[in-house]
Amino acid sequence: MEPKEQSKEKKEKLWFWNWVIASVIFRLVLIYFPKNLNLASRPEVSTPLTSLRRLAEGYWLKQLSMSPYAGSMYHGSPLLLSLLGPLTVKRIEGQPDHLLCSLVFVIADIVNAMLIRATGQNLQMEYTRSLKLLDHVKLSEKPEIIPSGDIAALVYLWNPFTIVACVGLSTSPIENLAIILSLYGACKRQAPLAAFGWVIATHLSLYPAILIIPMILLLGYGTDTPPRKLFLQRRNVEVGDNPPNDRCCEREEVVHRSEVPHVFSWRPVIHFFCWTSLWSVYVLVLCGISVKQYGGLWELFKRTYGFMLTVQDLSPNIGVLWYFFAEVFDFFRNFFLIVFHGNILFMMLPLAIRLKHRPCFLAFVYIAISSMLKSYPSVGDSALYLGLLGLFVNELADMQFSFFLFCGYVGVSLLSPVMHNLWIWRGTGNANFYFATAMAYACLQIILVVESVSAMLNHDRKLRKPLTELQDGKN
Amino acid sequence: MAESEAEVPKAKPRPIVRLGIFLISHSCLFSVICCTAGVLTLLLLPVLAKNTYISENALMPGSANPMFSSQEVSEANRLVKSLTSLDSKPVGSGIESQRLIAEYMSDLGAEISYHKFYPRSNQFHPLHFFSYPDSGSTRENVSCISHGLNTVGIIRAPRGDGKEAIVLVTPYNSLKVGPGEALSLGIAYSVFSLLTQVTWLAKDIIWLVADSRYGEYAAVNAWLRDYHMPVFSGLSALKAEICPVSNVHNELKENSVTERKINDGFRRAGTMATALVIKVTDGSEHFEDSLSIYAEASNGQMPNLDLINIVNYLAVHRQGLRVKVEKMRSLINCKWLKILGEILQSLGHVAKSLNPQWKFGIPAKDYVEGAATLASSLYYQALGVPTGPHGAFRDYEIDAITMEISSRVALNNKARKNDFLLRGGRLIEGVIRTVNNLLEKFHQSFFLYLLTSPSKFVSVGVYMIAFALLVASLPVVAASLYADAHKVDPSFGIDKSTPQASATDELSITPRSCKWLNAAKKVFLVHLWGAVVSFLPYFICQIPSCTPTTSFVVWVLLSSFSLPILSLILGSSFSYGRPSQPQKRDWTLLKSVTISAAFIGLCLMSVINFATAEIGALLMVPMCLMAQPLKLDIRSRKLRKFLRVACNLALGFLGFPPAGFFVLKGAFEGFGGITVGDFWSWLESIWSWSSATYLYIDEMGFSVDVTERDDIRVQSG
Repeated sequence: MEPKEQSKEKKEKLWFWNWVIASVIFRLVLIYFPKNLNLASRPEVSTPLTSLRRLAEGYWLKQLSMSPYAGSMYHGSPLLLSLLGPLTVKRIEGQPDHLLCSLVFVIADIVNAMLIRATGQNLQMEYTRSLKLLDHVKLSEKPEIIPSGDIAALVYLWNPFTIVACVGLSTSPIENLAIILSLYGACKRQAPLAAFGWVIATHLSLYPAILIIPMILLLGYGTDTPPRKLFLQRRNVEVGDNPPNDRCCEREEVVHRSEVPHVFSWRPVIHFFCWTSLWSVYVLVLCGISVKQYGGLWELFKRTYGFMLTVQDLSPNIGVLWYFFAEVFDFFRNFFLIVFHGNILFMMLPLAIRLKHRPCFLAFVYIAISSMLKSYPSVGDSALYLGLLGLFVNELADMQFSFFLFCGYVGVSLLSPVMHNLWIWRGTGNANFYFATAMAYACLQIILVVESVSAMLNHDRKLRKPLTELQDGKN
Repeated sequence: MAESEAEVPKAKPRPIVRLGIFLISHSCLFSVICCTAGVLTLLLLPVLAKNTYISENALMPGSANPMFSSQEVSEANRLVKSLTSLDSKPVGSGIESQRLIAEYMSDLGAEISYHKFYPRSNQFHPLHFFSYPDSGSTRENVSCISHGLNTVGIIRAPRGDGKEAIVLVTPYNSLKVGPGEALSLGIAYSVFSLLTQVTWLAKDIIWLVADSRYGEYAAVNAWLRDYHMPVFSGLSALKAEICPVSNVHNELKENSVTERKINDGFRRAGTMATALVIKVTDGSEHFEDSLSIYAEASNGQMPNLDLINIVNYLAVHRQGLRVKVEKMRSLINCKWLKILGEILQSLGHVAKSLNPQWKFGIPAKDYVEGAATLASSLYYQALGVPTGPHGAFRDYEIDAITMEISSRVALNNKARKNDFLLRGGRLIEGVIRTVNNLLEKFHQSFFLYLLTSPSKFVSVGVYMIAFALLVASLPVVAASLYADAHKVDPSFGIDKSTPQASATDELSITPRSCKWLNAAKKVFLVHLWGAVVSFLPYFICQIPSCTPTTSFVVWVLLSSFSLPILSLILGSSFSYGRPSQPQKRDWTLLKSVTISAAFIGLCLMSVINFATAEIGALLMVPMCLMAQPLKLDIRSRKLRKFLRVACNLALGFLGFPPAGFFVLKGAFEGFGGITVGDFWSWLESIWSWSSATYLYIDEMGFSVDVTERDDIRVQSG
């Protein structure tokens, strides 16, 4: 029996690696058709922040010892400029332009997938452990738990959005890499890694700054578990025969059980903060050195974060802000800027309270929300949260609207380029056509977030149900 | 949205949820009603057509008196005479006529340049559908021996800044100038000569004498491509490498007496506001001089309606020409259409007698004519092949139409001819003067419309209703099927994993709500196959010296091989005679996913090319809705079920693109002499215009059809 199972496991592993290699080959094939696909100029793929063409322009300006931020072309990080810039000018004879950059992005994608897989394995381990702890009758009967890590990694790798973002020469794989790195570090409770990922992610695209809450929760409580109440309840059920007066010692016992980290441990969090400050100082110093002769750090902040927060570039993208700020009166502009960005912040706290036992899922929700409301969204952001969604296949198996969401995503992602074509190239449509698909896309994202959160809460409820029944039976 | 609302019946659902549940539970009735309503609305479109009106105020058509006089007519006659005399002379090279025209142009003081182009075979490229007209990357197809020569004359506007232009195009065959072509050249020349003298011109005038030796479209397209994509030194060197630069220019210069204004370079005059393609045919009309307007460009695009309005207004109200647009002749004598028209007429009468305000009845004859025009409008838009050289302009966002002026009698009589020239010239002058008033590009009026007569149109808001009604049943049926699949005993969902727990098929063990993933995989596979099948011809036409029949056979063979290969690669459970007993739930889910995919595809296509989507919907919606497992139907030996099976098979057969093509062709032209090669040639003609229709027909048609067949076969096998 055992060797059979082992061979099956082996086979599954082989199957996973086959698909990974296939995805790499697929990307490489696509990289060799860049002329025909012309993905790098699609508004869905390359935003003012992630476009590699802009980065190359910034690098060019820097080579001419001008400020890379001159002329409102480049708005990214100076570190990315020094990392990727030299690769943009290097051409290999007979190969497509930007081959080296493309390879970097492919590697980043693979690393992302691997990190997601490792995170998923971690989560799954925790999941099975907590199920065992809860001694869940019904769920333990379930034949097997889906290897969510593998699925999430494959979903990430084979998601058309990821492929398009990778082949379309946008820097979003790198940004995603930083975010996933921080999540992975936090899941493994490695404060330096988590801090590094978080600092870099924030530095590159600012919005991941809100991930600090899931980071702290992850480091403090550990990865996703069912609500802590359940464990207490479980204990109650177990010791239900005992007279109620020794509840305090029973609590103590719970605390003592090392498998269930119930208490918030401050040590990794403090470590995390120390490392965060260290890394941020480091990054700031590096940035300061690289932009010293072009106006210093203040100029850098104005040109990068200021550009993101004030939505200066109103060229169309798949978000909803460009259209809105193109229409809004100028004297309302600041107000609405605050409203839109406040929107993300308003949702942070309630979600954090409700989902504090599932920090990874909370991170997913935050990423989804910020990629919906951010100023220059691209498909690379969607690729990230759709990949993370795969981490929770076990929990979200009973999600509603899954088919509708799938159809919606397919439909919108096909319709949006067509509308763009109708507007820009054929001239028969107008901006409203394109914006309609952007709104549909935003609605889909909202539905996805709402449904996934409610499915997760339902799942928790389902876990509690047999416990309460048990308790009731005993009482 | 409605689909999952049925899954969670709440205690007190909101009205919208209740409505959704109601629709889903009555999906059968709803779909029948919707489909009927959709077809009825389509038939009602000629009644719902509105009169056209000029939407852009700046145009002010016909507000000025025409300046075109008999003097210009005599100019035209002069050119026509010298062209015909040239034609009678046996001069070998075709350069003579170009030289003559250039001479005439330069006498008027226009800037002249020659544009040499190499005709290139229009080749299908799968990835060039939605991109901007391709840049010069596909230059390898040029053949160096044959080249055409366009003559371009430009008048600089006295009030213009050289940033905008109006284009006149007269296609003609330089080897043999026919009488109609000579007349069209004459008209254009006379207008051109008038425009050199006028003071009101604010846009430059470009007169393109297109050499239609290799097709009218090719010449115009080549010129437009070079106009919009400047060739820089690197590329021109490349071009010179490919083809040794022949000394046409020198030849022309040597021969021409008045060479002072001929330029070697490519002359430009800014963005083009409008292009008018002028053609003359003679002697075919019975009643009066008439003007045919052709407007359909590639992929069902139309020029702005205002352009057609201007031409129509000026032709009818100023010059007294009869304006026609293309009609489907076979429909005019159609019995049932006439009956329908009479019914509608009497309905209109009844409505009018009830309330004199209601005036929606139109005479039966008008209805039939409108329907025939609408049908041809739909047909040409659906085909996606431009109906003339104006189609090339639309790819560059320039509004263009072809005006084909035809006279009542053969133009032998001199006075008659002069009158004809005068009216044609005045019409074109009027149109140019009107467009000259334009401040911006045409944007005010419709781009998406169908014509039911030159002065009546159906706008996008109206014709979309017909389409929306037709496809509205799809999501509802998909939702109800999906809900059904989840309702059919829920305990079933748990042991479902056992038969398919193979290592490759991991997703099958996902719980209930993700059951559709398997069906989605199957549908995806079939669609992928459809895509492969539609891209195959690109490789097949690389094979040299292939007759259509052999290519078709190769195509069929390759396509049928590619399906098992694909399913092998993707490791799907796509096998026909699988021993596991067919489950009803699998089938409902598969149908649901198929229908959703068809719905997405149809909606997408309706945005790209409405006419294709409408025709596709007419075929596919019944097919999608009727598909049922054959086995169940056959078992139950009832007449109704048997009819359903027959309908299924017939629709499945018709929906299969080659079969549908042959049946239609047979119906219209008789079944004799149809070969399999025909389908190939037809497809070739479509994809050579990179028509999205082609992709669509293949992708959607094949896919949906195959999925349906698979549905049926899985059940029967």
